Amino acid sequence: MSFCSTISVRFHSALKIAAVAVLLAALSVPTFAQKKFSRTYPAPSNVRLQLMNKSGTVTVEGWDRAEVQIVASLEAPAANIAPQNLSGTIVINLVRDNQDRRDVGNVNFIVRVPYTTMVDIETRMGNLNVSNVRGGLVRARISTEGDITLTNIGASAVSAENVTGDIFYDGDIVAGGTYRFASTRGAINLRIPFNSSFRVVATAPTTRNISLGVFGGGAINYIGDGRRVVGKFGDGSATLSVTNQQGSISFFRR
Amino acid sequence: MNCEECRSKISPFLDNELEPTLADGVRRHLAICPECAAVFEDLAAIFEACRTEGEDLLAPPNSPALWRRISNVIESEVRPVPPAEPETPSRRFWRFSLPQLATGFALIAVVSSLLTIVGIRAYSRPEASASPLRSSAEETTMEKVLGKLGLITTPQQARERHFAEQQKAIEYWNARVAQRRSEWNERTREAFDRNMRVIDQSVVQYTNILKQDPEDDLSAEMLDSVLTDKMNLLRDFSDL
Repeated sequence: MSFCSTISVRFHSALKIAAVAVLLAALSVPTFAQKKFSRTYPAPSNVRLQLMNKSGTVTVEGWDRAEVQIVASLEAPAANIAPQNLSGTIVINLVRDNQDRRDVGNVNFIVRVPYTTMVDIETRMGNLNVSNVRGGLVRARISTEGDITLTNIGASAVSAENVTGDIFYDGDIVAGGTYRFASTRGAINLRIPFNSSFRVVATAPTTRNISLGVFGGGAINYIGDGRRVVGKFGDGSATLSVTNQQGSISFFRR
Repeated sequence: MNCEECRSKISPFLDNELEPTLADGVRRHLAICPECAAVFEDLAAIFEACRTEGEDLLAPPNSPALWRRISNVIESEVRPVPPAEPETPSRRFWRFSLPQLATGFALIAVVSSLLTIVGIRAYSRPEASASPLRSSAEETTMEKVLGKLGLITTPQQARERHFAEQQKAIEYWNARVAQRRSEWNERTREAFDRNMRVIDQSVVQYTNILKQDPEDDLSAEMLDSVLTDKMNLLRDFSDL
């Protein structure tokens, strides 16, 4: 009998401890709570998106609606977001909007834009993703670390730049276009159509790891003991500049 | 404060003539606007140049000497000039010997030719000579000779000057970052330091290569690129 009561007491104690633990966990939830922000703007086809984030992931996707939809999840302490619609340009600047705030949590954006939008996004740290866009411009810049992924892009001016992290481009090389990819440490991988016409200057001074893949058959010059490759493919109407200070550069057929 | 307002106040800001609240507004705008910050830096450089180099130009004239010269001129006009002994032109001409005259003419011809060549080259290739990262391989023999004589700036000198200017800008932004750094959270500080180390690694690498081989143009170009990256990183974090 006493054995059974001992078990019962222990069971109840365990139950109490579990209840307290659940209560504490419930109380601690607000610390990690995420706020949601959502706004939609009607947009002309040549709209421009200009977004500057402090930290977090930014994803921009092209869609077949004439509107820009901004959805953001804000980690605590939640940042201020005040988008502006300035005559055809949607401006979001979290650096400016949170200038005097000591601590601001990550803000993760998902922005849906018309296919023909010009995209100009920047963050101090975090990943940047852009897909299904064929406007005049795609610019993605990370001040410090994070990966840049640009997929299904048809823009004539593309620029991707970070310090630490990988850069992946999967898209067209438009005739007469300008393409610039620069990283200090990471891997730069470019997946482009085989029939692209461009002049390329690819520089990887530390690793000398430049792989042109199927594009290796063009008119190519190796400069500075293989630290730089200069080549021309087709009529060479587009310009590609790829620089990776401490990492590799690889070309793939799309 | 917008860009127009800020630019109109940069000059009084540099002269410390703005009220503290306005000056604060200018400072805050400069921190977030790279274009205005560039204008500010240019103006600051001009002000500095005027302060250091303009002293000679602004020095008060030596008035006693000036008066002495004026009185000498007046006296010479008043005093009767004794009639000078007529000098035959042939006598004046033969003060120089024929070889002396020939040497003089040859010297004038050489100097004027050199000046013409330098002038034409500078005029016909302004972009190349203006580029601070012009390749040493592009330098002609004449330019090398003139460079050694100190008559023109060599590509290497231009490059060193350019890097020195970049370092000055980096110091400026470094000071701004040092002021803001205490406001950052730990995650931001760590990310900044980590990435600054990555960039500095490249800066050291190219600086060492250039010490061994000053004519390695590719390393010079890469050093320019990473110094620009460093400046951008500092500028980006100076407004956080």
